[in-house]
Amino acid sequence: MASSARSVRPPLWRDVRVLRVAGQVAFVLVVFFVLREMYLNATFQLGQRGRDLSYDFLDSRAGFGVKEHFIDYSPNNSFWRVFWVAVTNALAVTGVGIVLATVLGTFLGIARLSPNWLLRKIGQGYVETIRNIPALVQIIFWYTAVILAIPRLENSISIFGFAYISNRGAAVPTLRGGADFGPWGLFVVAAVVAAFFVRRWRTKIFDDTGRPHYRFLWSTGTFLVVAALGYVVLGDAFTIELPEIGLRNLVGGIQVSPEFAGVLVGLVVYTAAFIGEIVRGSILAVSKGQKEAAEALGLRPSQQLRYVVLPQAMRIALPSITNQYLNFWKNTSLGFFIAYPEIVNITRTMTNQAGHELEIFSLLIVIYLGVSLAISLFMNILNRGVTLRGATR
Amino acid sequence: MSDELGRPELRGLREDVSVPVLPDTGRIVETAPVKEPQTPGEWIRLNLFSGPFNSLLTIVAGAFLIFAIYQAFGFVFLNSEWRVIQVRMKAFMVGPFPLDEMWRVWLSLYLVTALGGFSSGAAVRFPRGRSLMVKSVAVAVAVVIVAYTAQSVLVRSLVAIVPTLFIASNAIGRLIPPRTMRRIRLWGWVLVFPAAMFLVRGFDGVPPREWGGLYFNLIAASVGIFASFPIGIALALGRRSTLPAVRGFSVVVIEVFRGVPLVAWLFFSKFVVDLLLPPQMNLPDIIKAFIVMTMFSAAYVAEIIRGGIQGVHPGQYEAARALGLPTTRLMALIVLPQALRATIPAMIGHFISLFKDTALFAAINVTELLDASTRLGLEFIGQEAQTLVFAGLCFWAIAFTMSRWSQRLELRLGVGER
Repeated sequence: MASSARSVRPPLWRDVRVLRVAGQVAFVLVVFFVLREMYLNATFQLGQRGRDLSYDFLDSRAGFGVKEHFIDYSPNNSFWRVFWVAVTNALAVTGVGIVLATVLGTFLGIARLSPNWLLRKIGQGYVETIRNIPALVQIIFWYTAVILAIPRLENSISIFGFAYISNRGAAVPTLRGGADFGPWGLFVVAAVVAAFFVRRWRTKIFDDTGRPHYRFLWSTGTFLVVAALGYVVLGDAFTIELPEIGLRNLVGGIQVSPEFAGVLVGLVVYTAAFIGEIVRGSILAVSKGQKEAAEALGLRPSQQLRYVVLPQAMRIALPSITNQYLNFWKNTSLGFFIAYPEIVNITRTMTNQAGHELEIFSLLIVIYLGVSLAISLFMNILNRGVTLRGATR
Repeated sequence: MSDELGRPELRGLREDVSVPVLPDTGRIVETAPVKEPQTPGEWIRLNLFSGPFNSLLTIVAGAFLIFAIYQAFGFVFLNSEWRVIQVRMKAFMVGPFPLDEMWRVWLSLYLVTALGGFSSGAAVRFPRGRSLMVKSVAVAVAVVIVAYTAQSVLVRSLVAIVPTLFIASNAIGRLIPPRTMRRIRLWGWVLVFPAAMFLVRGFDGVPPREWGGLYFNLIAASVGIFASFPIGIALALGRRSTLPAVRGFSVVVIEVFRGVPLVAWLFFSKFVVDLLLPPQMNLPDIIKAFIVMTMFSAAYVAEIIRGGIQGVHPGQYEAARALGLPTTRLMALIVLPQALRATIPAMIGHFISLFKDTALFAAINVTELLDASTRLGLEFIGQEAQTLVFAGLCFWAIAFTMSRWSQRLELRLGVGER
């Protein structure tokens, strides 16, 4: 019986194995022909306008200025360069923003679970309001109604003469490297290493004797002492550059443009509401017994949170927070609407200057997906670090 | 005394701890916890000043709150001119929609209102206590805003029909038995959008380029949900397929559309799509934007549905296989109905975020609500703060109502509780 069952095969059009292969081949063919049709349409229409499909234009002169750039740029640089300016601008907002949003969001999540009624209600009001208004409306509001409404340059708000805020931007002091800046860097490295060992030493003392370790104070102190020693020994390591009010702009220090501030504040406020909800949910998801056990051990409420609840909540929250980081990265594109030179904005200008819509859009897809992938990878590594050993996913 | 194993008897301990015995009668007394009457003073001490840190928090938060309320009060009542809202109301609501054709919008609004009242009739009881207070405040605010913004008697009476219609249909909804109600409600919400589209496009209708304002935002979000639904299901099934080619294709489509922001896609629709299509097609800008937005939305819908499918118990597949169902029927009759039911709250969430995203249509020169509130003309220059607050309020009211509705639905469907 068995041999006859093996020998009788169903006809080809009913054989699952054949059908699977045939179906996939047909599917791939359909996709291929659709894509080919699109390609032919594109080359045909471009040909009619006397243009072709190539990336060579990226090396030619861009010819337009960009208000804000974190890498060197002038209109004489290539389109490639200006594209990277856009990417670094978007990355700068994302980098600063996700840190701030995480901090603010964590506080929000904790505030929403606070025993203090007022704090709880403020947290709730914040989340319910912010989450339900489009991020774009908020960014435009911050930019036009708040940031551009702060005093003009002449009447800049001065913070003890160290930092200035005006509607032309804000500026904070920065370190300007001197002649011995390089050697001083070695001192800084040495300071970090020394601080690390001091921290280990204090931890060991605590483990052995139970005396208080104060390791944060000790290691920070060590770092500062060694770094200061280097500064004194070398003489010209760096100077602190204070910003000043210039004729048309703030001069010196680290400058923040109103556009950068608008995107940053808008997105941080918006994303923090979502992160707050995630943190709150994750804290609630930590088993109640953990907090009770911590309480039974005599930990103070702040210690319970810091050492028992939050580390476990982070484990639960991390995948959702990764999503929020990805959203943040994509939402930097909203900077387009307030003329922050991020990727969409710059690629639009590039298209106006050079044409080549298809090529530029393909670059845009690649960079958005690439950075998203990088964020996911990084967060996955972080996630692996905090997952329970031996836990199944 | 001890029992047969030599353990000391625990009687005394037991009685002392959990079941007090009155000494004189020996009768067991039930000690139900008594709710202590809480005076306002006690409540304040317990919730606001239970310790030094807590008191500090209260003072700081209170100061912040008072500052915020003071600022908000100053903004609303003292420092702002609100006439701009009154004058530009039509632009905010419907944009360049021709005035002669406004009956189409009003009818659509009444249709949705009636359906909303009708379907809330069975589900929602009359609010009581705090909920009543909150709702009446919300209604009062809405009435004030409408009374201020609606300029003519005609508009006021047209607006007044809305609550009347809601209450009437709500009362009718109560009379219908819940089982019938459920079916009517489902079909009502599925058919209301095609009906509204027919209202605006049928009988020599208004072309898409004349849609605008909040009306456009709602239409765009609805298009995004309805049109993306079948594509989303197909992509979700494709991603779960055992055929590598189909799975790979679905993964690429989903990830590419999800990974690039909607603004970029809208520009894609305006400047790139034409290159890829045959030259003689010549689609209007809005239609191209809708198509691209639908694909964008479909990628998210696909992920939501995939989650739903993964949540279906494996036993359901096995049972269906055991009954001899082929794959198509297994999906259509067993898996998808359960998966889709579980995804309803997530779908509403997606609808909300899509609704918020429709503000991005401002990038391709559609006069939707946000665009209308940033282009005020010379007369009202510098009054963007007011109009943006108004636009934010409109978005907020709709999104907030829907998120509340979704929370209730989640409770009723018992998602995540099986």
